Formats: sequence, structure tokens, C-alpha cells
Amino acid sequence: MALAKRKSKPALSADNRWRLRKFVADYGVYIALAILLVVAAALTPKLFAVDTIAVVMRQASQLGIVAIGQTIVLLVAGLDLSVGGVFIMTSVVVAEVGNGRNEMIAPAIMTALALGGLVGLGNGLLVTKRRVPPFVATLGMLVLVKGATQAYTRGVPGGFVPEALGIVNQSWFVLSVPLVLWLGLNAIFIFVLRGTSYGRRVYAVGSNIEAARLSGIPVDAIRISIYVLGSLFAVASGVVLTGYVLYVDRFIGSGLDLDSIAAAVVGGTAFVGGRGGLLGTIAGVLIIQILSTMVVLLGLDVEVQFIIKGLVILGAVTLYSVASTDE
Amino acid sequence: MSQAILEMRGICKSFAGVQALKDVSFRCQAGLVYGLVGENGAGKSTLMKILAGAYKADAGEIIYKGMPRHSASTGEIIASGISIIYQELALVPQMSVAENIFLGREPRNALGILDLGWLRARAEELLSRLGVTLDTRSPVSELTIAQQQLVEIAKALSQDADLIVMDEPSAILAGGELDQLFAIIAALKAQGVTIVYISHRLEEVFRIADEVTVLKDGEVVDSRPIQQLDRATLVRLMVGRSLEEIFPQTDHAQGELRLSAEGIATDSILDGVSLRLHAGEILGIAGMVGSGRTELARALFGADPLTQGEVRLVGESLQQLPQWKTPSQAIRAGLVLVPEDRKSQGLFTALSVRVNITIPILSRLSRLGIIRRAAEEGIVTGARQRLSIVMNSPDQETQYLSGGNQQKVVLAKWLETEPSVIILDEPTRGVDVGAKFEIYKLMRQLNDRGIAIIMISSELPEIIGMSDRILVMNDGRVAGEISRAEADEERIIELATLGAEAQSA
Repeated sequence: MALAKRKSKPALSADNRWRLRKFVADYGVYIALAILLVVAAALTPKLFAVDTIAVVMRQASQLGIVAIGQTIVLLVAGLDLSVGGVFIMTSVVVAEVGNGRNEMIAPAIMTALALGGLVGLGNGLLVTKRRVPPFVATLGMLVLVKGATQAYTRGVPGGFVPEALGIVNQSWFVLSVPLVLWLGLNAIFIFVLRGTSYGRRVYAVGSNIEAARLSGIPVDAIRISIYVLGSLFAVASGVVLTGYVLYVDRFIGSGLDLDSIAAAVVGGTAFVGGRGGLLGTIAGVLIIQILSTMVVLLGLDVEVQFIIKGLVILGAVTLYSVASTDE
Repeated sequence: MSQAILEMRGICKSFAGVQALKDVSFRCQAGLVYGLVGENGAGKSTLMKILAGAYKADAGEIIYKGMPRHSASTGEIIASGISIIYQELALVPQMSVAENIFLGREPRNALGILDLGWLRARAEELLSRLGVTLDTRSPVSELTIAQQQLVEIAKALSQDADLIVMDEPSAILAGGELDQLFAIIAALKAQGVTIVYISHRLEEVFRIADEVTVLKDGEVVDSRPIQQLDRATLVRLMVGRSLEEIFPQTDHAQGELRLSAEGIATDSILDGVSLRLHAGEILGIAGMVGSGRTELARALFGADPLTQGEVRLVGESLQQLPQWKTPSQAIRAGLVLVPEDRKSQGLFTALSVRVNITIPILSRLSRLGIIRRAAEEGIVTGARQRLSIVMNSPDQETQYLSGGNQQKVVLAKWLETEPSVIILDEPTRGVDVGAKFEIYKLMRQLNDRGIAIIMISSELPEIIGMSDRILVMNDGRVAGEISRAEADEERIIELATLGAEAQSA
């Protein structure tokens, strides 16, 4: 019997294969960002003009703040589709309560945070107590919040956004108010996730909810608090967006809801929970924002933006799933 | 008649850096029964999954019916005559026996309509080849587990299987059902079918196997005709040491009462269980899968609410401790549970060893919610040394540790809470022999410190070797209590299966 001589020779030993996988999972997004910057330097050098950087960073901040919330929700194996509704609600509340009076900005923001907190509480209760899948619960909440906002305004929002909220447009070279807010919130929450017992429990709940419960962690309280935080971040993004346009826009922040999920996922935060973090999301936000800007700088159609964005998301997810699969 | 139907040579396979199979060779001749034995985690199932095409070997070759097999899909492998019957049966519960047997290969007439009559006739014919009669129209969900297994075997025959692998078929069977399975295996053998029978129960292997291959820690220790083996030799080959050496003995006096449960019941199967546990003792809990052992553990721990009865912990000098309703309250009172399924209930596989070990004691380790790194480092280093956990660093994700080290991490986690009572549900499942021995030693050390242990296990030698007293569960109740002196496998099996047989009679 002629024995087949060819022994299939694997390019990498099994041991090196999983090291490579882990490397991709841990550092892939930063490498992708670096490659993107090199490509941008070649294709669209204008991207590196101070003015352009300022614009990119401002938009990145608007997306980045809500993406912090989206990331921590994903960390507990959740998902928050309701952020789009919270943007609109925030915008309407700021205009109604603020009504052009600068001294009412603080109460207006507090009101928006309180209502946003209620939306998050609703999401959290539905997911934990009623065991509604996060996708369905937050989708329902999105429709509810949008509908309630429209019913309240009857399609014609009253009031005016106070002029002083335009402070969010202040900037010093590339350093703008939203950017400082984005970086500051990241610093705080990176510490919360890594250095506090709360952060540990968040990862534990996302990684294995049954083991977390059996370890004595109050899993429902953790998940509800995360949904509330997620909505508060959406309110913060909503305030920044409202200050940017200074009027009530019925479509404010449209697209940012799905982009926030995309940024977190591209940044390595897993849909199954317990894996990922805010540093990756920062890189994910930058990748998405730089890509969008490059499309504009190249003079391509806006539709191309969506195609490229879609390809990047699918590419990232495919890479991560390959990286985490043990055949 | 020395033609080999199957030859696997030099098979290697590793998962995430852990070598599961090292240069394993396995040879089968047509029409014989092969026992494939070894401890849990020895690599038996991995080897068979490679044969089935579910895993791809890192190295080695498979020669089947004289032809080297290169990468093939599971469908092609089944078509070539290899069928594997896993412990978790792959049947569709709502469909009938006949439909399950021919699932995906149903004959259809010109209009694409199912020929039910043909289906039933063929199914009955196959079942009669096995010497059994079943109503081929009844849905599989109405059958007993043993009958479902027969359907799987009939399905394998319908695919013209020449080689049938049975992965621990007896694990899900009660006493009398085993005899029927053995009769069927004998019948298949007479029809020239080759059987690979995976088990770690030696009695079964001696009853049916023609040749036995022993796997240990991913390597073939020996492969011999059954006539050249006796029980003691086989145990030594499997475990690497004799039974006396495995179970460390210490003489300790029974301490005062630590835990008592009076007539507890839950929504699940549990129905009026009482038990008492004393300081420094190991109470073994035996019983078939589904007898309520795990439910008992969860109920004691507060993971499932009690519908009846009460559980009490008794502290030093017989002081009554507050009762608990949730796991976190139980942990605070000093009772912990090391759950049965490490991966799904015990471990945070994507998180580091450090995070896993300190998760239940975070409040103790932090000030104003901020974790004190130095204190945490001390705990983790201490645990690593005490339990000799093998890892690259405390930041290594636990999914990359071996089963034994994973189990040590879970144990370390609970020991840091300084419990007075520990419930261990299948503490050595999927753990290699070395780590097993260390876990046994650790249990004795805990006993010496006065900690009381409840150990649930399916491994009778482990139950008998480690327990001071044994409770046998059956159908949600305690079927009997056996003292260490009168413990033997027959007695336990008798108590564990008595109710089941009385029911079916």
C-alpha cells in the first residue's frame, strides 16, 4: 500500500496559532488604526491639517461619548439601540426647559439626565426582571421614546436652545470642549472598569452570568446600573450635539446609534460580553471617523462611506471571530 | 482475518497550547469490540472527535478501509461507514422514531412527498436487527433515554455503519438497560460491525471488549487483548498508581454539627431531603444523573428557592447563624458551592486568574470601591503557591489553563472566602490524574482545619475512597445512608437504581 507521502505541514504550530489569535484580539484595532493613518497620509494628506484634525476630533467626541456607554452595555452582554431616541429627547428637553435662557441650561441638562436615567432603568428592568432580549427591549424603548417625544411636541418642538450651550463649540487648536469631555469621561471609566470592584463585577457578569450569580454578585443590579449609565452617556452626547447645531433637530445624531455599536465592536468589545474595553473603543471611534472624513476629502459619494464602513465592521468582526474560535 | 478496518497513527492535537493527544495510535480489526478506557480528560473523546471529523488533528494519519483519509467533512465520514453515538443524543424530540432514523435522508416520491409507509417499514426492520420493538410512530420525546439510545444505534445502522463508536453509553443508563445494550452490541458484532466502546467503568469493558486500549494524559499507555488483563492491572494502567495511593487517608474525629437541612424541597425534582454535616467530615452524595444531587447542592446554597423545609448553618460553639436566601448571603454565612460544570458555572474563562480568584472577596480587598492592588497580589500569590496552580502569570486568561488548574482556580476562589462548609459538585470531572490527587489531598487538609465538605460525584471509587458517610439520592429523595465501613459499589448502585426499576415495573 503506497502511503501518502505528503504530510500536511501546518504553516504555524498550534501553539503559535493561538498566540497569533490572541495578538489579533488584543492589538488588532491599534494596528488597523496605524495602517489607516499611513494610508491616509498617502491618499489624503489634507487629513493632517490642524483644521481637519479639529473637525475629526469634534465628531469623534460626539460619537465617542455615546460609544463609552455602548461599550459598557456590550460588556455585560447587552446592547442599547435606544440611544437614538435619547438624543432626540435630550435635544427637545434642552430646548423646552432651557427655552433660550442661559441660566436654565443646568436645570435643562439635569432634566435630560433624569429622563435619560429613566429610559436606562426601563431598559435594565426589561432585560433583567422580564428577561427580554436586549435587542428587543432597547428597540422597543427606542420607538417608545421617539414616539413620546413626538407626541409631546406634536411634531413642532417649542422653545429655543440657550445660546450659551454654544460653549461646546469653543476650541483651542484641536482641543475642543467635547474632546476634553470625551477624554475625561474615558479616563474616569477606564479607571472604573480596571481599578474598582464595580468594574470587575461588570466584566464578571458579562463573561459568565451564572458563575457571577453563584459568586454572590448582584447581577441584576449591576446590569440595570449599566443600562442607566449607557443612557446617561447618550444624554451627554445629545447635549453636545444640541450645542453644536443650537436648534432642535428631529434627526439629531441619526446614525450615531449604530456607529456607537460599530465603534465598540471594531474596537474589540465582544457581543457575547466580558471582553473588550474603552481603549479599543477609542481606536474604533477614530477609525470610523477618519474613514468618513477620508471619503469626503476624496470627493467620493456619501454612499461610499456606508459601503466602506460596512466592510470595516464586517472585516473586524470576521477577524475577531476567527481569533476567538478554537476550531 | 487480520485486516484492519481502521488505523489511526501518530495523532496529535492541542487546544490553546494544551496538548490533548500526543502521538496516539489506535487500530481496529473488523468485527471486534474495542474498549477505549481512561480517566476523564485522558483524551478518549478528543480522539473519537478527530475520527468523526469534528476536530482536525495537528499531526498524524487515519487509514480507513485501507485508504488514507485526508480532510473530509462529517457527512463524507458518515457516508464512509463511521457512526458516532455521543452521550448527548442528537435526536429531534418532536419527531417520530422513524423520522429521526432517516432524518435528512427521507425518501420522497416524484411529487416530493414523504413516503411514510416505507419509512416505518425500514425503521422497524432496523430495530428488529437490534432485537427490539418500538412504536416507530411515537415521538422521541416520549421514549426513555435508553430507548432514545437505541434509536441512535438504529440510525447508525441505517447509514450502513461498519464502525460504531459509543461514547460512554452507559453513563445515561440504569442497571437493567445496560444488559440490553450489551446484547445489542453482541448482535452487531455477530453481523460484522466493529464497535469502539468508550468508558471508564471497568466492569463493562471486561464484559464486552475483545481488546482494550488505555489512554492517559493524552497518550496510549497500553493496548492489549482483554484476556491478558485483570482489574487491578487495568486500574494501574489507567491511573498510574494503585487505589490505596490515590485516596489519602487521615484519621480525624468527627466534629460538632455544622450544617443541617430538614425536609427541603424545591420546584425541581427535590422532594423532602434531610441531612446533617459535621465539622471535618466529608459527606459523599451518590446517585444517578438526574437523581437530584445537583439540585440539592443548589438548594442548600440558596441558588434555587426552597418551597419547603429549612437549611441552617451552625457556627462555633453551636451558635445558630442567620439563614440565607441567596448565594451572596450563603457565602457571607460561610457556605460555598463549587458547581458541577466548571466552564458554564464556575469559571470566568475570558478573564484572568487574578480576577477569578478575588471576585467573591472584592469588598474585603477594596477601599471606597477601589481595589487595593498590593492586597490582591498577596492573595493571588498565596493561592497560587498553596494550591500549586500552574500558570504563566496571574493575568493569564483561565481558558488557557488545563482542566486541573482551572478547577484549582475555582477552589482557590472559594477558599479565600474562608468558608466553614464547602459543597463540591463533581470536583474532579475533566481533571487529569495528578491534579485529582492534589484535589483529594486538599480536601483532607481542609477537613483537618475543621471545614466540612459535601462531595457530589458520579465516580463511585471517588465517593467510596473519600467519603466518611455516603448519602445515595434517588428520584429527588435520600434512598439511603451508608457508612464508610459498609460502602461498596454494589450497595450504592442498588440504592441508586432501586426506585427507577420499581417505577418501570
